[in-house]
Amino acid sequence: MTAARMPEPDDRKSARIAEAHLAPQAGSRVIGRFALSREVLRSPKVRQAGAHAEATDLSNPDEVSFFFLDGEAHRKRRAAVAGLFAPRTIVTRHHAVMQRTMDELVARLREGKPLPLDDLSFQMAVDVTAEIVGLTNSDSNRALARRVKAVLDSSLVRRPGWLGTLIFNARMLLRVGRFYRKDLAPAIAARRRQPREDVISFMIGENYSRKGMIMECLSYGGAGMMTTREFIVMAAWHLFTSAPLRERFLAGDEAGQSAILEEILRLEPVASMLHRRAAEGEPGLMAQGEVLCLSIREANVDEAITGPCPFRLDPDRAKRMKVAGPYMSFGDGPHRCPGAQVALHESRIFLDRMLRLPGIRLVAEPTILWNDFIQGYELRGALVACDPA
Amino acid sequence: MVRITFIDAGGTRREIAAREGLSLMENAVAQGIEAIAAVCGGNCYCGTCRVHLTPEWFERLGPPGDYEGPVIDASGDAHPCARLACQLPVTEALEGLVVETPASQS
Repeated sequence: MTAARMPEPDDRKSARIAEAHLAPQAGSRVIGRFALSREVLRSPKVRQAGAHAEATDLSNPDEVSFFFLDGEAHRKRRAAVAGLFAPRTIVTRHHAVMQRTMDELVARLREGKPLPLDDLSFQMAVDVTAEIVGLTNSDSNRALARRVKAVLDSSLVRRPGWLGTLIFNARMLLRVGRFYRKDLAPAIAARRRQPREDVISFMIGENYSRKGMIMECLSYGGAGMMTTREFIVMAAWHLFTSAPLRERFLAGDEAGQSAILEEILRLEPVASMLHRRAAEGEPGLMAQGEVLCLSIREANVDEAITGPCPFRLDPDRAKRMKVAGPYMSFGDGPHRCPGAQVALHESRIFLDRMLRLPGIRLVAEPTILWNDFIQGYELRGALVACDPA
Repeated sequence: MVRITFIDAGGTRREIAAREGLSLMENAVAQGIEAIAAVCGGNCYCGTCRVHLTPEWFERLGPPGDYEGPVIDASGDAHPCARLACQLPVTEALEGLVVETPASQS
């Protein structure tokens, strides 16, 4: 008689919906091994693909977001703003924004009514990104968050056919125009008078066009605001539903808390795949012109790099395996997420302050949805509440 | 294998046998040199794998590259011979290299 095999522990909350919806670009070759994914992403022979990269007109780089650039032009632009994302800048400058936002969110929570967790996490993500980009001259930070959300969320809903395109374009024009008038234009005017250390000041110095500035701000917005909103909710969900994990988080120092968040992110990467086109062939790796789909979800559970039980949430794993904690969740190579450390810091501060509130509880669990555009999960409907002050 | 010595801010020395073909950062992380944080995994973005060379080794290995320099500047590390370990490939030319690590990589 054969002994029954114990099912492998699986702590992932987003695995099922990802398996049901993941859609690599047609004709692409999926790569799931961590080492191979890293080799592709670090190769100077690949170019951005997927997420409309191939439809982007690169003839005028000054009107193209850094997200779609490659090679020298991309590295130059990234290097110019490297200081905004440096660990020292995060601690000496961005922490103050994070704490100020948390003061405001805590005050709202202490009124005692249940509040949507994704609204709270979005406000944190908007405030921090706005500081880095330089969107700090709006009428209010909550109004800025609403306008950014209107643009970014509407960019994901596009019905097929000419009527759908017409409606989409008209709606986007209105919403982008509102964002420009109320948020970007005042920020540009203020920085023309007095430059600061932020992305908008850099763009003014480089004579970006209006279109170029809008594209860049929205790229930072999409990357810095939407993904962090989802991750904070996901991490909170794990921490609310596992008392030992929550206790360890609250008892941990900064490194210990970060290790927990990175391990959650390994299991629940917000973006699930990246695409690259091989501009040149590389024997044994890729053929010229081939489109490669790098599966972040698969790479993050590759036992060659995770060790045994890859689906189990184990905050000690990365240190034991001597690997950078988030594994492939922020990508790799020249396009690795510039705001990775910022996102981890704001998530840690948000969760630490929220989970220490008296009587804090998850009133309603989130519904997990799928976003086809970023090929990632969205968590909606989670409500949190604490004891009133 | 290439012999490389790390000296931490407290003066503790540790010699490692580094593998050629990997970066100095990858060797340090693989052998548990805790003063090398390398939070970006070796992409020359985070500046948390800084090492301080002697002037002689700095001259031999050269100054930081075009993208490495701004990252070191952003870290606030004013050491004149600072380099990122992720940008230093280990070859036999590094035999006997001695590096110091800063008190904090933040």
